[in-house]
Amino acid sequence: MSNPILKVENLHVNFNTYAGTVQAIRDVSFDLNKGETLAIVGESGSGKSVTTKTLMGLNAKNASIPDNSRLLFKDRNLLDLTEEEWQSVRGNEIAMIFQDPMTSLDPTMKIGMQIAEPLMKHREMKKEDALARALELMQGVGIPNAEEHINDYPHQWSGGMRQRAVVAIALAADPEILIADEPTTALDVTIQAQILTLMKKLQRETSSSIIFITHDLGVVAGMADRVAVMYAGKIVEYGTVDEIFFNPQHPYTWGLLNSMPTTDTAVGTLEAIPGTPPDLLEPPKGDAFAPRNAFALAIDSKEEPPFFKVSDTHYAATWLLDERAPKVTPPAQIQKRWARWQEIQGQEA
Amino acid sequence: MWKYILKRLGWLVFTLFLVITATFFLMQIMPGTPFNNPKLTPDALAQLKATYGLDLPLWQQYLNYLIGAAHGDFGISFQYQNQPVSMLIGQRLPVSAALGAQALVVGVVAGLIMGAVSARNKNNKIDGVLGILSTLGISVPSFILGIVLVYLFGFQWPIFPVSGWGDSFSETILPTIALAVSPAAITTRFVRSEMIESLSSDYVQLAKAKGLSDKEIVNKHAYRNSMIPVLTLIGPMAAGLLTGSTLIEQIFSIPGIGQQFVLSIPSKDFPVIMGTTIVYAAMLMFMILITDILTAIVDPRVRLQ
Ligand SMILES: Nc1ncnc2c1ncn2[C@@H]1O[C@H](COP(=O)(O)OP(=O)(O)OP(=O)(O)O)[C@@H](O)[C@H]1O
Ligand SMILES: [Mg+2]
Repeated sequence: MSNPILKVENLHVNFNTYAGTVQAIRDVSFDLNKGETLAIVGESGSGKSVTTKTLMGLNAKNASIPDNSRLLFKDRNLLDLTEEEWQSVRGNEIAMIFQDPMTSLDPTMKIGMQIAEPLMKHREMKKEDALARALELMQGVGIPNAEEHINDYPHQWSGGMRQRAVVAIALAADPEILIADEPTTALDVTIQAQILTLMKKLQRETSSSIIFITHDLGVVAGMADRVAVMYAGKIVEYGTVDEIFFNPQHPYTWGLLNSMPTTDTAVGTLEAIPGTPPDLLEPPKGDAFAPRNAFALAIDSKEEPPFFKVSDTHYAATWLLDERAPKVTPPAQIQKRWARWQEIQGQEA
Repeated sequence: MWKYILKRLGWLVFTLFLVITATFFLMQIMPGTPFNNPKLTPDALAQLKATYGLDLPLWQQYLNYLIGAAHGDFGISFQYQNQPVSMLIGQRLPVSAALGAQALVVGVVAGLIMGAVSARNKNNKIDGVLGILSTLGISVPSFILGIVLVYLFGFQWPIFPVSGWGDSFSETILPTIALAVSPAAITTRFVRSEMIESLSSDYVQLAKAKGLSDKEIVNKHAYRNSMIPVLTLIGPMAAGLLTGSTLIEQIFSIPGIGQQFVLSIPSKDFPVIMGTTIVYAAMLMFMILITDILTAIVDPRVRLQ
């Protein structure tokens, strides 16, 4: 059934700083299946970007990763690669789309050349052939009159067009995995939708897998097949899009959903999650979300919750799912979602 | 582009006109006279004044000077009788220009290399040493450095000649070093910070994500982006060289325009002082124009208009 192309096992990432060790990623495991889109959502600082940078071997110099962490991709542990081996993975087997198209292109290099670069590097193409392919890629990502613009410089293009160029760069060498770290956060809403549609279309054509990072649950529904929710360096809940949206189990996921505008939320019912994430220099004992959790149990501050199985595809790390836990009534909006889940289940049955 | 350059040249001429006017009237309020030989009789003095047109009303002197300057004629030197100022400058300018150009090229090239090395070794020993050297290079005036060089390599270890010009290349080495240190230091610091900024930029992150090696990233992306801004420094550095060279030419007995300038001041040789000032101003403005044009050629973001 599932066909993982990438397995992340027990990933820990620590940063050594003057103030001490920042435990940015604390035991993260997940699979990425071929052709699927996995969204990773969570508040600022939850470790989304560190996770993706680790997958590209691009972490800051002060990062350290313990030996038992494993990133299994094509029968090898990426964490064992030398810098040279990493270079043959980056932009080739795993590619990345960055957040800000205004700054991620080299202002002094022609755009066509920037798209051709990974082809010359990984496919050993000659410059002319690489530029010819770059032109096709530009057409593929919807640059109008691409022939006339292949020698343009980035400053001549709008943000939306530049992000298309960034997508073309990422797709140039036909990667198996595409990582997009908030690829549309810097863009207007309408342009956002265009870029997301483009990514979906290109994914269907190339059957690549996408890891899609965002803190905006609104764009997740249309993009992702599965969702992992991160908090303070851990995944706290993961499942299919429907499971996360309509049958959420972790109070943190409830909070994220409650703070997301939907068509049927009345104005004024949007609620931000109170409090701030914990200090990762000294992560708290027990459930890191407990201090901000209105449904916290006594055990939350003593012991870390394991993953409880909700379905074959859906797991959540909250003591509320323990059989000894009291039944709690989630916020009204979440109850509505659960009701909708019952309907969906009923229809399917 | 050509239209822009023409416009800039027009401004250059207008600015020069202002410089000429300002120097002309400043000379009038400068105390003293070139003809202070006590043996001069009043008759001889009147004779001299007539020769140089100094008996005319001020406005007429000014007009004559302007008209002359427009034709490249800056009058006749008081000091070297019968020698036109334009000829005096014409003889000595090439020497100064050669020295200045040599020092600028040496300084900028050395600075580009040291700045790049410094940035790539950010915060380690090499960077530290280069940091101290460039701070010294910026703070020590070139004439002091010139004197130290003369002492060290002229007397202590007499390796290089310490005076003269035009006989051998080795004569040019010490004055070139003395003048090149400051542009080298300025360029080093500038390139270092530009390069560090470039290496931490998003486009370098993207280049890494493409799978390029560190070397490829530096060569294809970081270098170009950190060197373009250096061009903007060339104008101000050339100005520094102009003033620096006046004293360096004295120290190394180089027959350049700077040496002549320095000598012309105590002898109140007004035509030479004015002519040299105007030539300095013209060269400086020209350098700035050239750097602006060069920047527009190499930086795709800059358009001249
Ligand atoms: N080089 C570093 N040194 C020290 N701490 C770091 C470093 N890089 C990241 N961190 C810390 O790791 C944590 C996770 O950061 P990360 O950038 O992954 O957050 P994020 O989920 O991507 O947030 P955002 O939504 O703001 O992008 C943060 O607490 C951050 O301060
Ligand atoms: Mg981030």
